[in-house]
Amino acid sequence: MSVEDLPRKEVNVLKGHEGAVLAARFNTDGNYCLSCGKDRTIRLWNPHRGIHIKTYKSHGREVRDVHVTSDNSKLCSCGGDRQIFYWDVATGRVIRKFRGHDGEVNAVKFNEYSSVVVSAGYDQSLRAWDCRSHSTESIQIIDSFSDSVMSLCLTKTEIIGGSVDGTVRTFDIRIGRETSDNLGQPVNCISMSNDGNCILAGCLDSALRLLDRSTGELLQEYKGHTNKSFKLDCCLTNSDAHVTAGSEDGYIYFWDLVDASVVSRFRAHNSVLDRRK
Amino acid sequence: MDSDEEDFVFYGTPIESEEGLASRKKKAIAESSGQLRTLPAWKQEVRDEEGRRRFHGAFTGGYSAGYYNTVGSKEGWTPQTFRSSRKNRAEFKEQNILNFLDEDEKAELEGRFLGTSSQFDTFGFTAAEIARKQAEKEQKQRPSAIPGPAPDELVQPATESIGVKLLLKMGWRRGRSIKDSHADALYDARRQARRAFLAFSSDDPEVKTTESEQNEGDVETFLEQSMDDVQSSKSTAVYKKRSRLSSKGGPGYSKNLSTRDSLFGLKSGKSAPGFGIGALEELDAEDEDVYATGYEFVDTYVEEDEEPSMLRLEYQKKKDQKKDNDNLPGFRVASSTDYQMERFEAPPIPKDFVPRHSFSGPLEINHKKYDVPPPDIPPPEDSNLKILIEGVANLVARSGKLYEDISREKNQSNPLFSFLSGGTGHDYYARKLWEAQQKCKDQTKPLLDGKVSSDVKRLTAESRGQILGEKPLERSSKDPSSSVDSADVQLQFNLTDTFTKSEPFSELPDVEKPFKHDPAKQERFEQFLKDKYRGGLRSTKSSLSGDMSEAARARERLDFEAAAEAILKGNQGKESKLAIPSSMDFVAGGLMQFTSGAEEPKKDMQSEDLSQKKMYPRREEFQWRPSPLLCKRFDLVDPYMGKPAPAPRIRSKLDSLIFTSHSVKGTEIEEPVLAKNISHVQQSADQDITKSTAESETEGDVEVENIERPVDLYKAIFSDDSDDEGEDPNLKKVENREKKAEVANTALSRLIAGDFLESLGKELGLEVPPDMPYPSQKSKNAASQEENVNEHARTDTLKGEHNSEMPSDQDTVFKGGPSKSDYVNMLESGSAKTNATGINDSKSSKSNGESYKDDIKIKSHLPREQDHSSGSSSEEERKRKRSGKSSRDKHEEHRKSKTPSTHRRDYSSDSLSEEESSRKRSRHHRHRRRTESDSSSDNERDRRGSRSKERKKGSSREKSSRSRKHSKHHKHRRH
Repeated sequence: MSVEDLPRKEVNVLKGHEGAVLAARFNTDGNYCLSCGKDRTIRLWNPHRGIHIKTYKSHGREVRDVHVTSDNSKLCSCGGDRQIFYWDVATGRVIRKFRGHDGEVNAVKFNEYSSVVVSAGYDQSLRAWDCRSHSTESIQIIDSFSDSVMSLCLTKTEIIGGSVDGTVRTFDIRIGRETSDNLGQPVNCISMSNDGNCILAGCLDSALRLLDRSTGELLQEYKGHTNKSFKLDCCLTNSDAHVTAGSEDGYIYFWDLVDASVVSRFRAHNSVLDRRK
Repeated sequence: MDSDEEDFVFYGTPIESEEGLASRKKKAIAESSGQLRTLPAWKQEVRDEEGRRRFHGAFTGGYSAGYYNTVGSKEGWTPQTFRSSRKNRAEFKEQNILNFLDEDEKAELEGRFLGTSSQFDTFGFTAAEIARKQAEKEQKQRPSAIPGPAPDELVQPATESIGVKLLLKMGWRRGRSIKDSHADALYDARRQARRAFLAFSSDDPEVKTTESEQNEGDVETFLEQSMDDVQSSKSTAVYKKRSRLSSKGGPGYSKNLSTRDSLFGLKSGKSAPGFGIGALEELDAEDEDVYATGYEFVDTYVEEDEEPSMLRLEYQKKKDQKKDNDNLPGFRVASSTDYQMERFEAPPIPKDFVPRHSFSGPLEINHKKYDVPPPDIPPPEDSNLKILIEGVANLVARSGKLYEDISREKNQSNPLFSFLSGGTGHDYYARKLWEAQQKCKDQTKPLLDGKVSSDVKRLTAESRGQILGEKPLERSSKDPSSSVDSADVQLQFNLTDTFTKSEPFSELPDVEKPFKHDPAKQERFEQFLKDKYRGGLRSTKSSLSGDMSEAARARERLDFEAAAEAILKGNQGKESKLAIPSSMDFVAGGLMQFTSGAEEPKKDMQSEDLSQKKMYPRREEFQWRPSPLLCKRFDLVDPYMGKPAPAPRIRSKLDSLIFTSHSVKGTEIEEPVLAKNISHVQQSADQDITKSTAESETEGDVEVENIERPVDLYKAIFSDDSDDEGEDPNLKKVENREKKAEVANTALSRLIAGDFLESLGKELGLEVPPDMPYPSQKSKNAASQEENVNEHARTDTLKGEHNSEMPSDQDTVFKGGPSKSDYVNMLESGSAKTNATGINDSKSSKSNGESYKDDIKIKSHLPREQDHSSGSSSEEERKRKRSGKSSRDKHEEHRKSKTPSTHRRDYSSDSLSEEESSRKRSRHHRHRRRTESDSSSDNERDRRGSRSKERKKGSSREKSSRSRKHSKHHKHRRH
């Protein structure tokens, strides 16, 4: 993907939320998009046609993150009510509620087989919840973080969490090893490169840092945007050629992966934006 | 009829029970009237008054009671096995007669109890009991304001005791004193004194006069007699004046009155002279009008009374009252309406009051001595000594000169403490002490400043500065834009700046000036920082930014928060210059360009970046144990499959560094085990030598640590040590072995604690645990390698240090052991400093703010941390939390710069906490150790070693959570 191919213009505006939108996530194939926000709802959209498909209401507080299984059949969401909701996409019913976090839940993800939901909470823990059994107890609590866990990534064998304590911790289930990379700055968002070799960590000092996963080496830093106090997402483009992140001034920034120059930026939102693909 | 009914449509179910009841009753009546008497005896049925059959069963002997035809329990005769486990204790049902009685019989039985007949009821106990029961019954019927059973004080016997009767027969009349009332001069004097006191103590002259006037009437005329009466009656135990009834009405009092209504209202005729409740009594109501109302509801007395002078007033009052309002018979609303619930202002705090105890003599001298700050002296080369000096200085500054004297006395013979009495390092000590004192003072003074500044002139700050010999203050006149009194403010800042040399945020002086371009703002920022970290009252005076609007101020405040955070972060990452301007950017980007903060040197940014890049990212690896189910769900093979317990991780330096205090060294238990194992072999041969050598060896360390000892000791004494109780039995069994090991550890730590601890323990009356075998270092027959290991283990124990060499040592020791797998497992991360406990700890020290706080009390390094304890989740709190953490990090950096040997010492607090816990445990299980200690086979040693690892984890977790109970829970969940 060359620079020219980077998205520039707004294709559709998905209007409907009655409050701030806290997260927007595409599904696996990119045909649908889920958003959640302070109006305590999760909304399912067809972003390409700009249609609002469904609203999921049940959360008692703001919804902070949502994730959909790869087969598009289930949702999981979390938020300020300290619970993780496990939804059926089609009916819009809550299948299960997972309670156990002692604080707000910042992020949720399904694992590859959609059998486990992993959540990251303000209570400094990562928790894994079993979707297969009827138990609502967490099957694993990882509490080695020393501050709120903001974001997490899952691979086939690993759980990666980024925390305000400045660490990105990788928990390898296969060998039972925890690897902690201390970045020295509160980590806001982590995102994995598509080849799975790097981790992009958005820090609260207005910098994105690209880490080599195998060595923990800092490969590159991306600066220029503003991210001091909000949770903003960052990710790599599909080709891993560019790094992109939102800025608190409403811009979306694109950096070249290798030389860390700002390739493109455009104004997308009026105030604080959250996520794009 | 049937056809008729078919025509109707019935809704609902007919009420049959009534019919049945009626018929039964009818039957009963018929029976009683003799209609059934014609039946032969064996056909007759015994029924109660409601027509229920009373006897059932084969021989009509089954008594209808309890569970109707059974044996008093639901289960009846169903055979049961007796089962009682630790968790489910078997219940022994106690049977008493009430189980076997019908309700009517119960009712009959009610109120029947053994008691003295009134004839012999000299002291009225039985009568009182009856009265109490009566009152209780009444209270049940109508709930009163006071919940629970009626207090004995409220209920008095209704009858007169024999003593009173006798007295009455002898011609004594109520209201009369037995002895000569006028002879009681002592009482008069006392009363006068009390009145004088009353007059003196009440601030308000009006209140005093009204009260006394109001009292004048009845108290004077009536009190003397009545008081005498009470005295006399006390001797005969007729009635006791439990408390005085205040004549004052108030919101609380009216309630009180109603309560008594429920208690006495129904039997007002025979009610005994109970008195009001003391709880609502005012403090100074003691002497006024005490008996005026206390007597009036005793109707019997009034009737008997033949002395009109005494109760005329009362009668009058009562009549008035009855006219006024239909209150209870015998009660009246307080006559004086001018009473208000008196609320007392908090006593004015003297302006020079310092809210901490100061030892009067020595401390003052101390202050004077250091009026002129001692010269800044380079610390002694010996880093141990330096730390020791600093620690002592801090403690002395906190707890006063007395502490210094004590420690000087105690450590007279100790060369390490020679600095106390003018030896090496005394100058440095003096300097440190002075610094610490300044810090202490600073912490208390802002509190006062906030209050005082309003009415006391600002000059106090200056004069104080002079008194303290501070450097002359420079008035900066470079801020024409600032508000009027900013110069004054600046003054204060300079003052405090000079005080707080070692405050974290003033350590990097140029960094903390993010608003250099705007001095006024910088000042405000500094003030903000001080408010924030100093604790105390946040100054509400808006004079700082007098010309600013509310909104501007609010915004600026936000700004400051961000900047403060950035500074702290910057201190941590040495990157503040980068952080602050961007924080300004953020503010600007949001709504409004507030300052011109964006123009900050860019080159600084670069250099900071470089320095940061060097530090971060840091990679550490730990062992982590995924739950089997998680592995299953992720479709992975459990890496720990078949392995019994989570393998512990070796603590890495880093974790312990970040979270200095109160984190637990999990691995520590292990090392004593090694030490002990080896020493076991040689133990018998040279125990004595070992002991002495160990003592001499440890002494150096002892002194360093015993400064912080007392707090830990207190914890060991007073905190709950029953946390081992609820563990799985099978787990416990294995643990016993390692507990033995811990006993050894205890012994070591006790040694470490030194004489200070011991003496303190003795003072507190603690049982000092018996001496344990010490690891023998200088053993004659020990192989060189073994000795090496031994020594290593010991030094580690003593210093609480876990360095990366540990694994290899363990490997050598445990080579050939049957259960080596755990170690291999543990070591499979290669040379890595894998550590489970480290993580736990790091978490713990964050999570348990309380314990952290405790530590701060000990270590004065981070005074600002103190307000991080409460877990409010507000943003500000959170930010502060973060900043606190970063300051911790900074701390860590500080430490890192020290020599390795210093490092070790630094951990002492951690090791202490560990030792403390193990000591606690050992108290529990010391006896077990005794029995098993002699049988230490190789096998057992190994097992012990491996178990101790598990234990280690447990213990670390034990520490890691907020409360012990909680941690227990936690542990269970994990296992």
